Amino acid sequence: MKVIGRVPESALSRRLVLAGTAAGVASLLVPVTLVSSDARPSQEQTTYDITDWITIAATGEVTLGLSQPEVGQGSYTVLPQILADELDVEWQRVKVRFVTGKEAYKIAFKNEAPAQKEGASMSTTALYERLRTAGAAAREALTRAAAEKWGIAVAQCRTEKGFVINAVGDRLSYGEIAPAAANLPLSARPRLKDPNQLALIGKPTARLDSQAKSIGRAVFGIDVSVPGMLNAAIRMAPCFTGAVVEIRNEAEILKRPGVHALVRIAAVDVANEEAGSQHPALTRPPRDNAVCVVADHFWQAKRAVEALDVVFDPGTGRDLSSAKIDALLQAALDGDAAVPVIEIGAPRQILRDKAASVIERRFVLPHIAHAPLEPVNATASYRDGAIEVWGSIQSVDACREAVATAVGCATDAVSVNVTFLGGSFGRKIVPDYVVQAVQASKAVGRPVKLIRTREEDTQHDVFRPNAGARIRAVLDEAGYPLAVHARVAGQSLFGATRKSWLDRTPEGSWDESMVDGIYNQSYRLPNFLVETVDTPLPIPVYFMRSVGSTAAVFFWESFISELASRARIDQYVYRRNLLTADPLALRVLDAVAQASNWMTPSEPDLFRGIAYNCYIGRGGRFKTYVAEVVELAPVDDKLKVNRVFCAVDPGLAVNPNTLAAQIEGGIGFAMTTALHSRITFSNGGADQSNFFDYPLLSIDEMPEVVPIVLPSDRPPQGFGEVVLAPLAPAVAQAVLQATGRRLDVMPFPDAVFRT
Amino acid sequence: MGLINIKINGSSRSIDVDGDTPLLWVLRDNLGLTGTKFGCGIALCGACTVFVDDRPLRACSLPISALGESEVTTIEGVTGREAVAVQSAWVARDVPQCGYCQSGQVMSAIALLKEIRKPTDRDIDLALNGNLCRCATYVRIRAAIHDAARALEG
Repeated sequence: MKVIGRVPESALSRRLVLAGTAAGVASLLVPVTLVSSDARPSQEQTTYDITDWITIAATGEVTLGLSQPEVGQGSYTVLPQILADELDVEWQRVKVRFVTGKEAYKIAFKNEAPAQKEGASMSTTALYERLRTAGAAAREALTRAAAEKWGIAVAQCRTEKGFVINAVGDRLSYGEIAPAAANLPLSARPRLKDPNQLALIGKPTARLDSQAKSIGRAVFGIDVSVPGMLNAAIRMAPCFTGAVVEIRNEAEILKRPGVHALVRIAAVDVANEEAGSQHPALTRPPRDNAVCVVADHFWQAKRAVEALDVVFDPGTGRDLSSAKIDALLQAALDGDAAVPVIEIGAPRQILRDKAASVIERRFVLPHIAHAPLEPVNATASYRDGAIEVWGSIQSVDACREAVATAVGCATDAVSVNVTFLGGSFGRKIVPDYVVQAVQASKAVGRPVKLIRTREEDTQHDVFRPNAGARIRAVLDEAGYPLAVHARVAGQSLFGATRKSWLDRTPEGSWDESMVDGIYNQSYRLPNFLVETVDTPLPIPVYFMRSVGSTAAVFFWESFISELASRARIDQYVYRRNLLTADPLALRVLDAVAQASNWMTPSEPDLFRGIAYNCYIGRGGRFKTYVAEVVELAPVDDKLKVNRVFCAVDPGLAVNPNTLAAQIEGGIGFAMTTALHSRITFSNGGADQSNFFDYPLLSIDEMPEVVPIVLPSDRPPQGFGEVVLAPLAPAVAQAVLQATGRRLDVMPFPDAVFRT
Repeated sequence: MGLINIKINGSSRSIDVDGDTPLLWVLRDNLGLTGTKFGCGIALCGACTVFVDDRPLRACSLPISALGESEVTTIEGVTGREAVAVQSAWVARDVPQCGYCQSGQVMSAIALLKEIRKPTDRDIDLALNGNLCRCATYVRIRAAIHDAARALEG
């Protein structure tokens, strides 16, 4: 097999091992044990828990715990990689299993109670030190156990790939000393490896799940099967505030082949968190808003749901429409009431005094849907008050809590089994679909797998909120911003779901996610005012990959492009001159300019755009610097984004291979948002339903991606979301170059790309 | 309901199922072959791509009663030089992210290489633009198909 690319030799030899024993190895890659017979451990063996993360069998087999759901970001590889490096074991032989139930697995994004969950680009940055410490503490305990057995000093021992070795060359395998090591106290501050001793961290390491995912053997939530399980389909009230009034043909539906039951499902709405709860909180307003049919097979259930003659009352939100949402937004952008986020210098005064030379731009973005390719689904078993669920679940603790609240039991009575997630992007943190499956199981007294169709998944997503902006500025004599006033309005995500995350001021509360990348950026702005206006709406919203920055950075960087264009200064040079106080920002900007030959005039038919953003993690937890250059060129009768250069400073790249994948995929994800994504509303519900009216990027639209990863002495920063935001403003700037047309809405109208 | 015989991955199976049931749900619910995925239900995303008599088809939109004597091959049963080349390239390139669409991507790539030994980028676009990947692993999909084509040459 001829292999091209940057996969190292060691990874290849591992792969040949995998290929030779595909079935057996694939089963090890499946993080749930109940799913299929070959996913069970082949034989019982004595194992020893050395730490919360590391289990070693008497045979020497090492199992590393993975606490972060694998949604595609690579946690399944990267986090065990950190453990394995410090533990000093042979990477080729480790097993990975999903673990839950311990405090060590919990993380917090901001000021909430810690929980076991994936999100906010936080997995690696939050767990890096914890996992290195766990690996090193286990290695130390194993070494101590061996030293005691030999009756020598610890200093006379060293480790090497699963063995402790003493000065005369005697070897004890980790398996032989695991029983003793498991009883030793762990050091809270073990000595970590020196950087030059690291064998895996920082190396492009092959994913552990590629094989299973390339041969159809990885188990996702939708693939779960448990004994006695029935299958369910659901129809939810089309209006977000809707309720089931009447089912007119219940008797006929129950007579259909395979149908066991028809279950009215109580509404589970995303709502603000209660004190002490994990986000997202779900409420159960006293209404049923869905009907589910439970049958032997899914197709029977789906057909029965289609045949349902059900009457829904639309409720109080029936008048919701896109026209009203947009009118509300425009009024907010022009109104007197706004909450100041920051105010530096005298922006109001200057903008008033120089009213004649004010440059103004307005922007509007719609709500959008997550659209993971695996529609939301869950399997639940309710038996005597004990509940077990299986599925694609992004937050273990949010799920346990939501289920416990919904059925009125203790959180401890809920156990959660996490499978591979078929995409999530924030969607599967909200366990509304799990609570629906639990209700169905409780009603029929058997395990139930409930799958939402694509249509139900799209229409009842928890959407990324809409946003709009009005930004005004006057330039100084050199053409740089003298005073800027940015106002962002829209449905506040924190206002709708996380009130405790709002920043409170005497003038009101503001939602950081609405102005991420605007209020907290490094451009030199002597007089600067940022404001927000919340326009509450009865639309379920939630976090989506890169959260508010996809909107805010589009507004902000498009406005910077406008200013540079007015000042007749090169876009790169303009940004560079505004960023001189931030050397890390300059480094990525320079790197992308150099890689793309920005300062060399481009071919006549090539149009370019450049944009920058520093993605600041929630709660200020990390800073990842990103700069992108897009190239737009005519292909057939259209302008196409042909190539994207993306320079990043992510701190230490624990696994440059998966990091590059996040760059490539993040650019593609942002392309979908820029070109295609829009949810509109009428009669209180969402209009779009499937990929014909909510399309995703396809392979022919995907640009070539050139990742530029800068070396860094900083620890690993967050990464999964960071490359998305600069893409759209860079494309818009290239479109401006090509056509003179200013883009102020997303998705970008298809017509602007026609030549 | 009634017994329907289908030829699947080289063997014959008899299933008691409604004739209008799409092949996808027969595979997943009746036969436990869950490698073929449900994404949209209307042949727009390609996650359910299987071979019917060696041609790639969307299993979500093919009623089982329409199958007749045709032979079905799924990701679990796909074999041959092209399959080995594609799946090896997929692993070597670490194509998958979430992985949900990849069974369909792999099946479409195998079908392409059976048809065209040395596909151009445009051939790849035409053959795979009905296989959606929300993680946008398209850069590596394209590279892996070129790798697989080279491996088949050598």
